[in-house]
Amino acid sequence: MAEQRIATSKVAGTWAWFLQRLSAGLLVILLATHIFLDHYAQVGADITVSWVHERLGQVLYIAVDYSMLALVLFHGLNGTRTVLFDFEMFVKRRKAVDIGLWILGIAMLVWGIVILWPFIHG
Amino acid sequence: MKMSSFKWLFGRNSEFWPTNMKTGMWAWVGHRLTGLLLVVYVFLHLSFLSQASIGSKNFADLMKVTAEPAFVFMDFLLVCAVIYHAMNGFRVVLFDMGIGIRRQKQVFWIMMAIAAVLVVGAFYVLFSHGLFDGAWF
Repeated sequence: MAEQRIATSKVAGTWAWFLQRLSAGLLVILLATHIFLDHYAQVGADITVSWVHERLGQVLYIAVDYSMLALVLFHGLNGTRTVLFDFEMFVKRRKAVDIGLWILGIAMLVWGIVILWPFIHG
Repeated sequence: MKMSSFKWLFGRNSEFWPTNMKTGMWAWVGHRLTGLLLVVYVFLHLSFLSQASIGSKNFADLMKVTAEPAFVFMDFLLVCAVIYHAMNGFRVVLFDMGIGIRRQKQVFWIMMAIAAVLVVGAFYVLFSHGLFDGAWF
């Protein structure tokens, strides 16, 4: 029995598709830099609060960390949305899915900003 | 309803049954699994760091946990997931631009070869610093 299915890309929309690619490209650059500089270039270094604080004294570091957070949340939750829209029960509740994911994303963004704040201010 | 039926979706005659899946399908399933895994990781990452940001005592204690070999190995698996997701993501973007669709299997294996090199490199760095003895802190 043939199942009538609408392509997920049609449900999710062109903007979701485009912004997913854009955030992917930016994340590849930022994450590669982050993983290499912060983890691999100094494997075994003793990570202390003062070291993190010193590093976050540079505006560039703060900007990169917060951009990564925002981009990763967008990319991850937009990807989750695409996965959800492969299921009819979520396609039917499209509006609820969108609102739910936006609330979750913004809440996590604020959470992440608050978490990093003590490290920036010392 | 067929759409929500587990058997229809994952049963022996479904497109997800392992022997029914071809290269492109494995790539797609892998992309979704690593993607969802990485979303879960972001939750864990934020909750872990929220404990670390409470005070410097907490921070030092938690950093000791991150130096445990088991934790470092989990970090390594995380890097593997990121590398797979990124390399297969490149493949998806290439197809979006109309490049290599007719040779999608070859493109997949080329990307996986690059991914393998990156994974081996990441493993080597951790291994040479004592991934399994956890003695570097």
